[in-house]
Amino acid sequence: MKATLQVINQMQTDGVIGQYAIGGAIGATFYLEPTATFDIDVFVSLKTAPGSSLISLAPIYDYLTRPPHHCKIENEYVVIEGWQVQFLPPGDALGEEALAQAIAVKVDEVTTHVMTAEHLVALALQLGRAKDKIRITQFRASDVLDEEKLNQILVRHGLLAKWQEFKDKYGNE
Amino acid sequence: MDKIMAGKRESRKQLAALPFAQKLVLVEKMRDRSQLIAASSLRRQQPPCPLHPPRPR
Repeated sequence: MKATLQVINQMQTDGVIGQYAIGGAIGATFYLEPTATFDIDVFVSLKTAPGSSLISLAPIYDYLTRPPHHCKIENEYVVIEGWQVQFLPPGDALGEEALAQAIAVKVDEVTTHVMTAEHLVALALQLGRAKDKIRITQFRASDVLDEEKLNQILVRHGLLAKWQEFKDKYGNE
Repeated sequence: MDKIMAGKRESRKQLAALPFAQKLVLVEKMRDRSQLIAASSLRRQQPPCPLHPPRPR
């Protein structure tokens, strides 16, 4: 996966993407025990296409499918150095904030960016799929969450009622 | 049962405490194993589950 991260860093250096942050299962793995996953979710800030208000992933695909990378596109993924990578523009203010506040971490000598634990929990709560609920439970069972910080994020993004509902349903510890 | 749960919690804690690079190696191994299982001919020979028929695409 190190090679994959190096390519993503190169994309940033070459100006194809702006700031990026790893979320999803790989992001959570930074804080928790490793989780099985097939892909890497990379949240990226993207420029709108000239003369359009639409965000386009085309520059990413163009860059990665050309030499020297020759990456394959598989549905919504680009296969970079053997890993399926999904590039996701942040969908709302919470995503934007998660991207902006991501932390720099090291994978051996490679620097990458991972969302904070609190933002990963807030995004998982917002998505609310079965695997997101499991992830939230794992975070709550660990001691990595800053409750105050999480609370502020939940308030800021209107997720407090959903959080209370989650705690009522899955335990209030 | 409590002992088993405590043991599991401890083992998860130890895994979580590993360096990120080491955890990513484990994720990679888990992915490879899952892909092998998914590609297994034995698995493909299984008849579809009557309770969970494949969804139309």
